[in-house]
Amino acid sequence: MISLFMSFLLMSTVAFAQKPMDAFEVQVDGLGCPFCAYGLEKKFKEFKGIKEVKIDIETGDFSFAYPAEKALSLAAVVSQVEKAGYSPMKTVITRANGLVETDAPLEVKDVALAAVQTKDLFVAGNCEMCEARILKATSRLEGITEAAWDSKTKMLHISFDSKQQSENSISQAIALAGHDTKLHKAQASTYETLPMCCKYERLKN
Amino acid sequence: MKNQFKSLWFIAILGAFQWAAFAQGPPITADKPIMLGGGSFTAKTLIEHRKTDGGTFRYSPLMLHYVIHSNALVALHIPRISFDLASGVSGQSLADVKLLGKYQFLRIDGTGKTFRMVAKTLQTLPTGAELGVMELSAGLYQGYYGLVAGYESLRYGISMELGLNHIPQGDLDFLQHKLGFGLPLLKPQYPNRQINLFFEYNSQWLWSQKGYQLLYAQGIQYARKNITFDLAYQLPLVNDMPEGMQFKRSLFLGSRFTF
Repeated sequence: MISLFMSFLLMSTVAFAQKPMDAFEVQVDGLGCPFCAYGLEKKFKEFKGIKEVKIDIETGDFSFAYPAEKALSLAAVVSQVEKAGYSPMKTVITRANGLVETDAPLEVKDVALAAVQTKDLFVAGNCEMCEARILKATSRLEGITEAAWDSKTKMLHISFDSKQQSENSISQAIALAGHDTKLHKAQASTYETLPMCCKYERLKN
Repeated sequence: MKNQFKSLWFIAILGAFQWAAFAQGPPITADKPIMLGGGSFTAKTLIEHRKTDGGTFRYSPLMLHYVIHSNALVALHIPRISFDLASGVSGQSLADVKLLGKYQFLRIDGTGKTFRMVAKTLQTLPTGAELGVMELSAGLYQGYYGLVAGYESLRYGISMELGLNHIPQGDLDFLQHKLGFGLPLLKPQYPNRQINLFFEYNSQWLWSQKGYQLLYAQGIQYARKNITFDLAYQLPLVNDMPEGMQFKRSLFLGSRFTF
């Protein structure tokens, strides 16, 4: 009888034990009304298991918790905010094991000792909105110290810490945002979501 | 009389800007450029009880909007209309079915504010009775092409629309301009609970008929997390329309639910 009771107690403990959760904080621009916040929350409800959703519409602070075992990536969070129709500005993930991930630009003091490299990369795009998107994609990467894109030459002039980034990783981040580079092409589904004025001529393989 | 209406319009606009305001929901008789997240549906109705010099009409649409992705929306409007014409004829029937498409081509976001523009088309199918009532039931194919712009902030919202309605078989083409102001009475909060006031203007110019009308709608809206209840009263400020098409008043009662 006692062993039966102990087994039941053990099973209950396992069943009700809290799963380790990752904490997500996103600064979202474009939430002009409470309905916008509803649109954002609804889109994130597609992530099954999401908990503790909080949105402060005055500051644009959006936070939630998500099971650590699912290892929700920073790129997936950023992409989901964009799919909801809003602009993710800064994302911070505090993993259940204490590690912190962020797309906030690296502070200058951290770069002082870094090996800074400068490159000119070709990035397809058309307009000022493209420029904003390309620069935002680069600003999310750690170790970027300077970035400028010219809509006429399509060249991205970028300086970065070569210990943290490479031409390949930067090109990949830009392609994820919807812009073709020589090294990586944007996914067709991402390209399709670009506004009309940003629909540049796709690069051939 | 016309001058009095113009004064009223001016006072109403001034009044709209003087409200201490925070945030607002979707407009009632005007349109909006914001789409709530890709893959979502909104079921809506906006029952209109309209009185013109040609008769009395009750228009009851069932509208289903689907946001394909954050930049595009399609919708189907299936309306019924009951009418009581000045000639003594009365009845009810299916009104003109409408297909709506919107594409957002500009989005500028800031903290707690956004400016957006969408291209819009509304295709009206000739499924309704030939009642000759603008936007309700003409029994003629119509194509509407317009631009909708909107600025939403936590203090107020402004929406504007400019469009052209073309009817291939008829002389009822018109140019339309809508201007709406939305002002809430409660502090912004999420999950949202809002009571919003709307001040909406709709001007239509029928050049072939040399007709012009400027309508003003005063609306109030109660909104919860994903549902709204809307009430608006519309009256003409300028009414230079041909006989039989002169607008007297409309009462709107609606609701929308997003899922």
